Amino acid sequence: MNKDEILEAIRDNIVNLDFDKSKENTLKAMEMGVDPQEVILKSIAQGMEIVGKKFEASEYFLSELIVAGEIGKEVTKLLEPKLKGVKIKKIGKVVIGTVRGDLHDIGKNIVSMMLEASEFNVIDLGADVSPEAFVDAVKKDKPNIVAMSALLTVTMVEMESVVDELKKAGLRKKVKVIIGGAAVTEEFAKSIGADSYGSNAVEGVRLCKQWVK
Amino acid sequence: MKFNRVELDKNSLVFGFSRHPLIYGNGLEIGKGRVVPEVKYFPRVGKDSKEEFKAITEQVLKRATSLGVDRLQLETELTYVEMQQSTLPGEITRLQKNLIDAYSKEYGMQLALRVTVPDIRDFGKPKNDEGGFNRMMDAFEQVASNGADVLSIESEGGKELFNYAVIRQDLLGIVAALGYLATYDMKKLWREIVKIARNKNVIAGGDSACAFGNTSMRLAGGLRDNVIPHSLAAIVRAMSACRSLVAYEEGAVGPGKDCAYENVIIKAITGYPMSLEGKTAACAHSSLVGNIVGGVCDLWSNEQVENIRLFGGYGPEVFLEILHYDTKIMNTAIKIGMQQELKTILVESDKYVDPQAFVLSPEIACEIGGAIVGGGDELSRTISSGIKASILIMGEQRLKLGKSEKRYLETAKDKLDDIYRDPLKKVEQTLPSYQQKVGKLKVKDYLET
Repeated sequence: MNKDEILEAIRDNIVNLDFDKSKENTLKAMEMGVDPQEVILKSIAQGMEIVGKKFEASEYFLSELIVAGEIGKEVTKLLEPKLKGVKIKKIGKVVIGTVRGDLHDIGKNIVSMMLEASEFNVIDLGADVSPEAFVDAVKKDKPNIVAMSALLTVTMVEMESVVDELKKAGLRKKVKVIIGGAAVTEEFAKSIGADSYGSNAVEGVRLCKQWVK
Repeated sequence: MKFNRVELDKNSLVFGFSRHPLIYGNGLEIGKGRVVPEVKYFPRVGKDSKEEFKAITEQVLKRATSLGVDRLQLETELTYVEMQQSTLPGEITRLQKNLIDAYSKEYGMQLALRVTVPDIRDFGKPKNDEGGFNRMMDAFEQVASNGADVLSIESEGGKELFNYAVIRQDLLGIVAALGYLATYDMKKLWREIVKIARNKNVIAGGDSACAFGNTSMRLAGGLRDNVIPHSLAAIVRAMSACRSLVAYEEGAVGPGKDCAYENVIIKAITGYPMSLEGKTAACAHSSLVGNIVGGVCDLWSNEQVENIRLFGGYGPEVFLEILHYDTKIMNTAIKIGMQQELKTILVESDKYVDPQAFVLSPEIACEIGGAIVGGGDELSRTISSGIKASILIMGEQRLKLGKSEKRYLETAKDKLDDIYRDPLKKVEQTLPSYQQKVGKLKVKDYLET
């Protein structure tokens, strides 16, 4: 394979969600001396664009979009040693977690992975996260956005505690707050002083992107 | 006891009738020719749990007497809030049971109370959170001592891996979660629950794979949603039956929990009575299986409704009324010998709308049940049921699957066939790599039972 062929092969491997082949061909490209930035632009970015279009056309499932994003991330990691200090630009930073008392994390995980695939730096605090842990993470990581999830009506009240604790710590104005999950509504988001509510993962990520434009 | 045959066929798998009926509570008969409403509720946010459960119980029983409901099961699903106070599970149960007994005595109603203890374990903690496990067992002891007639749980062993795998459509991870980790956990859990139930002379009801099957159903969503393939959700439903069956192999006798849609398959295998939910659960979540599972239920439930004020009363009493009228139709059909006809209507109205409904039709459930009991150990059974479900879905032209679903099904079938060739080796070899990816997963703790 020549340079163009290997770049095309990696792109197609990503589109076909074939992690092993993506990895194998990326290593091959590096051996061939292909510029890693070309792999990023012509293989990963183009591959992701095709996958995104397939998702929009309902040919691919959202889960496949997520998998493609993860493959892109792993391939990028392989290229890092050759990038010689070239930093891959992130568009923003998000601290995300499921609130205290709630162990449901699958919706939060989807948002987290989609944010990463959209070039956000994501600090995922996991599930059952206390208001204090959210505040500590904001102090330490200085994100643009705090994202919270709750599935249960009994735990959604914890979201208000997080907003209150952020206010007490003088951090509320420094971050945007978005909430989501089966239990919450736009009305609830307004009532607790959150900036917005995402009714699903795609909408949540779209709102986050708007905030960091 | 290992189930090695399918107890019911597609005709005898019908609402209101089970092979092993039960009688418990204040003389409530289940699975003996009548479908019984099972009403479920949860307190309003920010209100005192005890006061709320008392008010709910009173309003439900009052509405029941007003409607002429003579048989009824209430289900209280405790949450982590009630588990924060050590004696609260027992106190709530006692309070409800006293009201139930009083109504039963005064109005001659056949009543019972199921209590579901939440799985509060944090699987990232040592020994799969032994402290959480002990608190759950203490709650079971408390509720069984204070008037619960049926004990249930929606246990979550294996969920940390399942969550990771399902959003990646990773069938090996799903199989390892359901067919390996979850079954280890179910054995440990249900040995203890059955022991408590027998000591306290109450019923060990059953478990729900809600954390797996309903998570997948939720991700699959409606007909226009595409987070995960609907065929994957159907395959997970079939596979989750193997996991939930473990409770019955450890000594549970039903009625299984309402949100365990896999109960259709489990009823076929065990002949035990089952609770199910459908259109009446729209207050809690949407589904594409609103009618079909009604065709085989013994208790008919509404999943959960908040104790909020509606125009026609509070949520729980309103949903009791809806359940009452649904079960009246079913019971009238039985009375006039039309149960098979009504079952056909319920089943056929949903069967070809979506693969998730298809796998829960009595005929298909019996076939999947056959694949399970003929499948050897739990891991092999899990894969067999998934393969069977995928073959049956692929072969049904009336399902009108889209291109992406068809593409997925072929991949899924190939993948499951591949895993089936040497399942234990494949799962055990792969689990360490999942352990690196899934922070909370501690495989060793599952195996130390």
